[in-house]
Amino acid sequence: MSQAERSTGGGAPPLRPLRFHWSMSSAGSELKGAKARAAQNGIPDLAAHVAYCEAAEWCGIESLLTAFGFHRPDPIALAAALGVLTSKVKFMVAVRSGVISPTSFVQQVNTVSALTQGRICLNVVGGHTPKEQRAYGDFLSHDERYARTDEFLSICRALWAEEEPVSFKGAYYEIEDAVVKTPFVSNERRAPEIFLGGASDAALNLAVRHADCLWTLPRCPEEIAPRLQPVLESGTEVGLLLSIIARPSREEAVSDAYALLDRVGGKARQVHEEFSTRSDSVAFTGTLALAEKNGGDWLTPWLWTGAVPYLGAPAIALVGSYDEVAGAIRAFEEVGVSQFLFMGWPDLEEMKRFAGEVRPRLESSASRRIADNSRAPILK
Amino acid sequence: MKMKFHWRLLQGGETANMTRAAGWNRRETGMPDLERQVEFCRRAEECGMTGLLTDIGAAKPDPILLAAALGLATEKIELIVAYRSGLIPPTTFVQQLNTLSALIQGRFSLNIVAGHSPLEQRYYGDFLSHDERYPRTEEFLAICHAFWRNNDPVNFQGKYYQIENGRLNTVFVSKSRTSPEIFIGGGSEAARTLAISQGSCWMRLADTPANLEPDAKTVLAAGKEVGVRVCVICRPTRAAAVRAAYELVAGLDPALRDAEHERDFMRKSDSVSIRQVYEMAEGEWPASWLWTGAVRTHGGAAIAVVGNPEEVASAFIEYKRAGVTQFILAGWPKLDEMIIFGRDVLPLIRQEERALDEVRGASSHDD
Repeated sequence: MSQAERSTGGGAPPLRPLRFHWSMSSAGSELKGAKARAAQNGIPDLAAHVAYCEAAEWCGIESLLTAFGFHRPDPIALAAALGVLTSKVKFMVAVRSGVISPTSFVQQVNTVSALTQGRICLNVVGGHTPKEQRAYGDFLSHDERYARTDEFLSICRALWAEEEPVSFKGAYYEIEDAVVKTPFVSNERRAPEIFLGGASDAALNLAVRHADCLWTLPRCPEEIAPRLQPVLESGTEVGLLLSIIARPSREEAVSDAYALLDRVGGKARQVHEEFSTRSDSVAFTGTLALAEKNGGDWLTPWLWTGAVPYLGAPAIALVGSYDEVAGAIRAFEEVGVSQFLFMGWPDLEEMKRFAGEVRPRLESSASRRIADNSRAPILK
Repeated sequence: MKMKFHWRLLQGGETANMTRAAGWNRRETGMPDLERQVEFCRRAEECGMTGLLTDIGAAKPDPILLAAALGLATEKIELIVAYRSGLIPPTTFVQQLNTLSALIQGRFSLNIVAGHSPLEQRYYGDFLSHDERYPRTEEFLAICHAFWRNNDPVNFQGKYYQIENGRLNTVFVSKSRTSPEIFIGGGSEAARTLAISQGSCWMRLADTPANLEPDAKTVLAAGKEVGVRVCVICRPTRAAAVRAAYELVAGLDPALRDAEHERDFMRKSDSVSIRQVYEMAEGEWPASWLWTGAVRTHGGAAIAVVGNPEEVASAFIEYKRAGVTQFILAGWPKLDEMIIFGRDVLPLIRQEERALDEVRGASSHDD
């Protein structure tokens, strides 16, 4: 689909309802991210995962991110299994180009959609560690990976368009007369919703070209606003990948935030220093550098980078009372952010607090926005 | 080695007498049909089947993910996941399979084929020739085995793949094995060589036991098994079975032009065995119980053992004498024929097999 077709016709970007997603990767392991990846158990605990999915359904979480990595189970196989064992929550399956042919990928995604009535969306990442990519036979540089991901998504979207056999000849892929007979099955869409993560220019450009929503890591709202403007104007949504520590009072939240650092300990810090030296992700290393510079403190009264050196870039957290966290979400909403993917420490308790305390505080503003907005959300 | 019998899984929307060409054109073929397929799995368990073949192809759902869904809904049956190299890098493949093993306690095996249609391989970005697909599959499986050995980081530099310090935290999970059983499909010498070097069992299309035996011997000598893909048409009398066979072809709707489509498929294929079996179909009865009459409308895998239960049972015993111990079977309709086979034929086979093994045990004792 061309940009012109996707644009809603100039002017301010359309207002959209807020949507909330959560990370799946922690099911059964409270302090994910504190351990070196090589030391993590890759065997999925199916019962724990199903219980986690059911809790997410109960909490009204729209989808759960199943991440990709050598230390984890395959996210699409896991999503297929969890999808047939649950009924409502969607699975946001992470994929990198370079680990599968686009035709096979579409066939797999469509198979999951048929097994789960369309409860699959995608989180496309460029890959953040060259060393890990080489384990999959992928030897490209950071910028080349984005160029390849561009081709990958072009082919996927052509197959989802299901108009005619797909032929493609690019720098990275050559496909001839491809058809995939298993269609994308969903009551709502003809193709899966595509989220795309990153902070580099390459990532932003790619999101504008192919994604429904850009995932990025938070900074102060006024700081990210100018950078996100072109993305929003193109009709692509913006979402934030972050952690959340919401408590009845600010004191309790701050105290729990610092207690988290005591629980994970200094070893975790070393793990992420080492990871940072291997990664070529602009989003990840940028956030780690920011946290170091910031001395483990506060970007705003409610945006805390203290856990980042211990638990990784997505540990940048909204910290505060329920009212303050709801206010923070509104502050991001004001600069155009419409989706959130949260992590909690631990996840389940935090997810329940979010559903019970924070979400209701957002309902009033959300209903106001929907009433103001005559346009339906854009569906590709 | 006790004979193992597998059946082909029912496909989405499959009808009793569906040809390959008809299946390709039906939208339902691409759709998993969990309710009917789970029921089919349960019946296969009751019929004494070890596994069910989940096909691969652009017309069908992804077999790894379908196997995950079916495995979670069943207790005992194994899924035989068909796959081709050239679709997915070996690291991702092993990660997906190991995840599958953890989800369904290792209840699957692999049927690796090199691919039979160059046109379809190009859908996936694979432009290699028939002969190159085998060395690539060899590299692919060598890397898979290196991951399954689960010792050191995997390093591999070959003609088709380069892997650096590969490791996966999700290991292969099974009570009885450290890696999946691997059938290598294909009738060419390249396929047989690959089965010996990387597989557990060479799985080929049917021929008479006498024609199979020389090649089977080389595979058995290497410590690997030999398997055959064949259909079954078993009825209470030979006359009824032969009639059912002829009706299968006569009953096709001429408007669908199945024979024309199958000839076209065969011409576009670069598979040695598909061509061989098509040629073999010139003579309709290579043995009194082996019928090739459906090959030209239903494809190479439609060569069939035809007869009454005793005749069918002794045909399988003849295969066993020639060294064949695994079978992937099918029939028309798939479910009805599987029930007939499980009820009327399998007990006879087991009985004769025991007698044969006793004789063999005694003779090997004499040596």
